[in-house]
Amino acid sequence: MARVRDRDPAAFESLYDGFHRLVYGIAQRMLDDSMAAEDLTQAVFLKLWADPDAFHGGNFGAWIARVARNRALDVIRARSVRPEGEFPIDLGSDDDLDETVLAKIEGERVRAALRALPDEQRAPIELGFFGGITHEEIARRTGTPLGTVKTRIRSGLRKLREALEASAA
Amino acid sequence: MNGSSEHDEALLDSVAAYALGTLSEAEARDVAAHIATCAECAREYHDLRGAADLVGYAAETPEYAPNELQSARMKSAIVRHVRAASDVPPVTVPAPGSTPAPPPASPGAPVATLPVRSRAPWLAYLAAAACLAVAFLSTFQLSNVRAQHEQDVQQLTLLRAQVDQQEVAANEARGHLALTQSIVADLLAPGAQRFPVPRGLVARSNGRIVIALQHLPALPKGKVYQAWTLRRGAKAVAPSITFTPDTSGLLIVELPGSATDIAAVALSVEPTGGSKAPTTTPAFVRPLS
Repeated sequence: MARVRDRDPAAFESLYDGFHRLVYGIAQRMLDDSMAAEDLTQAVFLKLWADPDAFHGGNFGAWIARVARNRALDVIRARSVRPEGEFPIDLGSDDDLDETVLAKIEGERVRAALRALPDEQRAPIELGFFGGITHEEIARRTGTPLGTVKTRIRSGLRKLREALEASAA
Repeated sequence: MNGSSEHDEALLDSVAAYALGTLSEAEARDVAAHIATCAECAREYHDLRGAADLVGYAAETPEYAPNELQSARMKSAIVRHVRAASDVPPVTVPAPGSTPAPPPASPGAPVATLPVRSRAPWLAYLAAAACLAVAFLSTFQLSNVRAQHEQDVQQLTLLRAQVDQQEVAANEARGHLALTQSIVADLLAPGAQRFPVPRGLVARSNGRIVIALQHLPALPKGKVYQAWTLRRGAKAVAPSITFTPDTSGLLIVELPGSATDIAAVALSVEPTGGSKAPTTTPAFVRPLS
C-alpha cells in the first residue's frame, strides 16, 4: 500500500490482481448482477487509487471486503447509506485482529473456518453480511427468536476469530 | 445501557450484531454511543469486527468469480485509468497576482476583422448549418469508432498476453507436477521411513529426504522457510534449501544431497536467500531415528 500511496501503477495493478476477485465475489453474491458487480469492482479500486489514504492499516483484505459490502448495500438500498464513494473511516485499526496474525490469514482459511461453524451460527452471519439485512429480518426469515439470533451471531464470530487465530498460529 | 452482568450479555450480543452490521440505524447509533463509554463493549467490538469483515472471503469462490473476459475487461479499464492518471503532467498554477500570459500570436500578423454582414439568402445559412452539423456528427462518430477500435485492440493485446502467460504457467505446473509425483512416490514407497513433525512429516526413502507439510503459514515479504540437516558426528547443523509454501500452505520438497548420513532435520524461518546458521527458533528439529 505504501507504493500505491506513492502513485506506483504497477503496485496498484498488483493489489488489484490480488483482491479483485474478493471484491467482485462480494458484489456478485450480494447483487446477483454481473454487470453491477463489474461496475462496483471498478468503482472500489478507482476510488482507492484516488484516495489511498482511506486505508489506515491493518488487514487490507478485511478492509476492502467491508468497503465492497458497503458499496453493494448502497446499490441494494438504492439510496445513500453514507455519502457516495466514502470509505468507512473506523476500519483498519490495529486493534482489530493482530496485524501479524491477519497477514497470515488467507481466504481459504477463512472459508474453512466459516464452514466449520455450526449451520445455526454460520447462516445468520452470512445472511447478515451478504444479505445486508437487520437481525430482526434474519429472525423473521429463519423463524428464530431475536435474542437467539444475536447470541448466535456473537458466538459464531467469536468462534471464527478463535479458529483464524489458531490456524495462523 | 448500564452494566449489570446479565444486562452486559445482551449488550455484548448487540455489539456483535453491530460489528457484523446487522443493527438498524437507530440501534447502531445507540450501540456506537455506548461503545464510546464502555471499555468492555469496546473491547468486544474490536475483537469481533475484524472477524466480521473477513466473512466477505466466503464470496471469493468459483461460484461468484468473474470469468476471464470480465477480469480482462475490468483490469483493462482500471489500468487505462491509472496509467492515464499517472501520465497527466502536473498542473502549473500561476503565482498569486501574476497576469495570465496572452495567447501566442505571430508577429506582424494581420488583425482579424469582422466581415461586413452580407445580404446572403437564409437558404445559404441553412445549408451551411446543415454542412456543419453533418461534419460534426461524422467527426463525432469517427472518433467514437476510433476510440472503440483502440479499446478493442488493447483488450485483444491484454487477452493475448494473458494466454501466453497461462501457457508458460501451465508448462511450469506440468514440470512441477512431475517432480511432485516423483517425491510423493518416494513418500509412499513401502520401505520409506516416516517421522512425524508438526503439520506434516519428514520421510527418508531411496536415499532421499522429503519434507511434506500442510497449513504452513505464509511468511511476510523478505522471509522464507529454510531446512537444516545434521550429519552423523557433526556438532552443528548445515544449511539446506530455502522455500515458500504455495497459496494453500502446502509444501512438499526434497532436500538435496544424500540422506544416508543425515541424523536430524530442522526447519526455521530465515531472511530471503537463507542463512548460514539458524537465526530463529526452529519450527521443529526431528531426529531421523
